[in-house]
Amino acid sequence: MVVGEISQERDLVIIGGGPGGYSAAIRAAQLGIQVTLIEQGNLGGVCLNKGCIPSKIWTYAAKKRSEIQHMEELGIESSGEGFHVGKLLDYQTKVTKQLRMGVEKLCSENQVEVIKGKATFTRSDRIGVENGHQFDTYTFKQAIIATGSFAELQANIPRESNRILLSDEIFKLAKIPDHLIVYGNDYIAFEIASTYREFGSKVTLLLENERDFPYDSAINKELTRQFKKKKIQIIKNAQLNSVKEMNDSIITITYEKDDDTEHLLEGTHLFTPGIRKPNVQSLGINRLGVKQNEEGFITVNKNLQTTIPSIYAIGDVVKGPMLAVKAIKQGKVTAELIAGGKPEVDLTFLPAVAHTIPPIASVGLTEEEAVEHDLDIRISQFPFGSNGYAMISGKKDGFIKVISDKSNDIILGIHMIGEGAIELSASFAQLLEMAAKEEDVKFPLYAHPSMNEGLLEAVEGLIGESIHMVPKRKDERVSHVFT
Amino acid sequence: MLEVKLHDIGEGMTEGEIIHYLIKEGDNVTADQPLVEVQTDKMVAELPSPGTGKIKEIVVNTGETVQVGTTLLYIEAEGNNKIKKLTTQAKEGNAPMITVTNQKEVQKSPVRLINRILATPYTRKIARDNNINIEDVQASDPSGRVTEDDVYRFIKVRQKPIKSTAVSQSKNTAKEEMNKPTQTTHPDEIPFRGIRKQIAKNMTKSLFTIPHVTHFDEVDMTNLFKLREELKADNMYVSVPAFLVKALVIALKDFPVFNAELDEENEKILLKKDYHIGMATDTEDGLMVPVVHEADKKTIQTIHKEIKHLTTKAKNSDLKPADIQKSTFTVSNVGPLGSTGATPIINYPETALIAFHKTKKMPVVNENDDIVIRQIMTLSLSFDHRVADGATAVMFTNRFSKLIEQPYKLMLEMM
Ligand SMILES: Cc1cc2nc3c(=O)[nH]c(=O)nc-3n(C[C@H](O)[C@H](O)[C@H](O)COP(=O)(O)OP(=O)(O)OC[C@H]3O[C@@H](n4cnc5c(N)ncnc54)[C@H](O)[C@@H]3O)c2cc1C
Repeated sequence: MVVGEISQERDLVIIGGGPGGYSAAIRAAQLGIQVTLIEQGNLGGVCLNKGCIPSKIWTYAAKKRSEIQHMEELGIESSGEGFHVGKLLDYQTKVTKQLRMGVEKLCSENQVEVIKGKATFTRSDRIGVENGHQFDTYTFKQAIIATGSFAELQANIPRESNRILLSDEIFKLAKIPDHLIVYGNDYIAFEIASTYREFGSKVTLLLENERDFPYDSAINKELTRQFKKKKIQIIKNAQLNSVKEMNDSIITITYEKDDDTEHLLEGTHLFTPGIRKPNVQSLGINRLGVKQNEEGFITVNKNLQTTIPSIYAIGDVVKGPMLAVKAIKQGKVTAELIAGGKPEVDLTFLPAVAHTIPPIASVGLTEEEAVEHDLDIRISQFPFGSNGYAMISGKKDGFIKVISDKSNDIILGIHMIGEGAIELSASFAQLLEMAAKEEDVKFPLYAHPSMNEGLLEAVEGLIGESIHMVPKRKDERVSHVFT
Repeated sequence: MLEVKLHDIGEGMTEGEIIHYLIKEGDNVTADQPLVEVQTDKMVAELPSPGTGKIKEIVVNTGETVQVGTTLLYIEAEGNNKIKKLTTQAKEGNAPMITVTNQKEVQKSPVRLINRILATPYTRKIARDNNINIEDVQASDPSGRVTEDDVYRFIKVRQKPIKSTAVSQSKNTAKEEMNKPTQTTHPDEIPFRGIRKQIAKNMTKSLFTIPHVTHFDEVDMTNLFKLREELKADNMYVSVPAFLVKALVIALKDFPVFNAELDEENEKILLKKDYHIGMATDTEDGLMVPVVHEADKKTIQTIHKEIKHLTTKAKNSDLKPADIQKSTFTVSNVGPLGSTGATPIINYPETALIAFHKTKKMPVVNENDDIVIRQIMTLSLSFDHRVADGATAVMFTNRFSKLIEQPYKLMLEMM
């Protein structure tokens, strides 16, 4: 710092240009606030550069690859033999670059001032930005911390090897691993397992400390079945004990099961989503007394304010689900709050999705949760094997499961595994947010043939009215007709 | 990891204010050790620890009001981290339930899947924009879905009484003024939470649900004052409110609809067997209603002592939950504050409330047609028009007045 430094004045300063930060910036600009966005790396953050987008490029490619067999059936010839990782990596670079340029353009069109550099708080109303030799200070009225998170390996996994991979590394691999061990229990782990299997890796999935997948039991069962069908070995309730790298490009790991038995496993690579930690080290917020929890995540109130009310925090750097969905919502809401509005963030119906093959989307109450709370419910499950469009597209696997409240017909939860689950999840979330009843789903018209009809039939099935579902008991049909 | 959430402490509470943490981060706690004091609708309750472990993180700051279901703090549990559900007892016998869930919620946070808010996002926005907690709004739809109309109706009902009370009330009794921040004479901001917020909420609820009717009357206090002076000469000090409470209890026994609660759902009026008289007391924190329990079984002198004791406690913010619970009828003694008339608001879910205003010397024509100077007090009885009509109210206050105007009758009733 230079003696007699001049601090420039700004209204709203946002630190971090990930999905949280840039969404907040653009929304604030829309609301007439003068915005300064500080980013040390690339706009788009983890999501665009290393997370959501790269991972979905891989899951998308895997899905396309899985369709080759069906393509042949349709008469479209493709050997399917060649897979050029290099090309996919080029494609990844191209897509992320395009999207990044899009974000940059949006920022400039919205008159968001983007400053490159690493930001550090020097006072509760002042920030220093370091960029090489340059150090500028800015005084602000309000600040939003949106610095995101980074992954770290679990303590018992050594760092040295380049065959032990976090997500930052795996999407850069130039060669598909022979035997990939996946250790984790979140959607990232499931997506990686599903994707690399499709590209020919032998895959062993160690479900870290969990008895099962985290979804509704019916989804868990189907996902297990699908993975097994693909020959992905699933080891549930595993706790990794040690990782050793052998000379002959083999990794040996030992893990413990819930029955206290220890097991040995060999593979060529190990992938884990790791433990995500908040990016707070360089911020200097502990000096200001901004409260953080034990893991370092910034504590905020309902209005996303830190213990210093003029400083807000959003996205991965605060506790809660680490998803761009949350970061984006919190970003927009914070901008609106600063502009004097009264919005809120409510994550109750945050869709849980996984781009596995087949994909998963789950919103609202699971059957287990409903039962645990003694709710009187109706359940219906419509299999895509009975859906016309699923037959056409060769995506007969999976189902939609709907749970409703018997006492008032209100839909409580919708869970889907099957083609199109991610896109349909918007309908699920909307229905639940609107507090929809069965009739509210049954009444509208649905394009035919389409996967959408699966939702309609699942809901109709709650009261035995699905056209394409065989009634459970023979006499059911008769009794229904006459009553 | 144990996640300690604010759970329904009963009586349909929807939110609570964090008053005070009894522990700090890093402290070791044992099962049932009190963790935090929460102010709910009517009382301050302590939430005990669901297990043994170390306080990992406190998420909600002191002074914040949070919804039922909000995570307050995390405890690093000793031993396993399986999903647990625990029910623990609050000090005063209610049962605050703390749900403890495993923190490892991969992507979904089942924030409020149970007890969710049944309203469209747009309806919720209208409520937020009008500073309304949507959970206070009663749904017209039997399945509990709150509509736009419901919210607008709630806003309307909330606004109307504020206007009318503003004209009819003297400045000291206008506790309801809390409800209309725009008209406060002070430019300073007063935090609208805790007890203040409870008062406003109860008032709103009361006005929203109970059709109020107020009946005014005058009582000749001269004889009672004389009696009090005589007792004083004998070194027996008994305050006027103690006599008033006793007389009220006797009158209430004859007119039990005013010591009752309306159970609309089951179409019943529940006549209370207990006579727990709430004494509305003005404190720095706002209006508190400490309760003289079983006033029917107590002597005037005991009542006097109790009122004195409770008033002191209220002024020093020392009231315990038990002190402010279970009232069946409420008295608002605004006379000492100089009020001469007001439309008091019923203490929901009671059916009536009586306010005693200032006693003034007034010329009165007596039975010999002489003009004499008497001590006259105005009273106003607000009652729920669904349970009683004007005639019953007049009979009730007449009965009460007789007992005060001829205090020896009061003695007779007590033998
Ligand atoms: C493999 C993977 C797949 C994922 N897939 C999905 C998905 O499908 N859907 C989904 O919703 N989410 C997904 N996520 C999660 C998502 O990426 C994050 O939740 C999201 O990026 C968080 O956004 P953010 O704005 O909080 O922070 P980030 O995206 O982490 O951005 C923070 C930014 O702040 C910058 N920064 C940090 N410190 C400073 C400083 N001191 N000064 C200046 N700049 C600073 C960083 O350079 C970074 O650009 C995935 C994550 C991973 C790792």
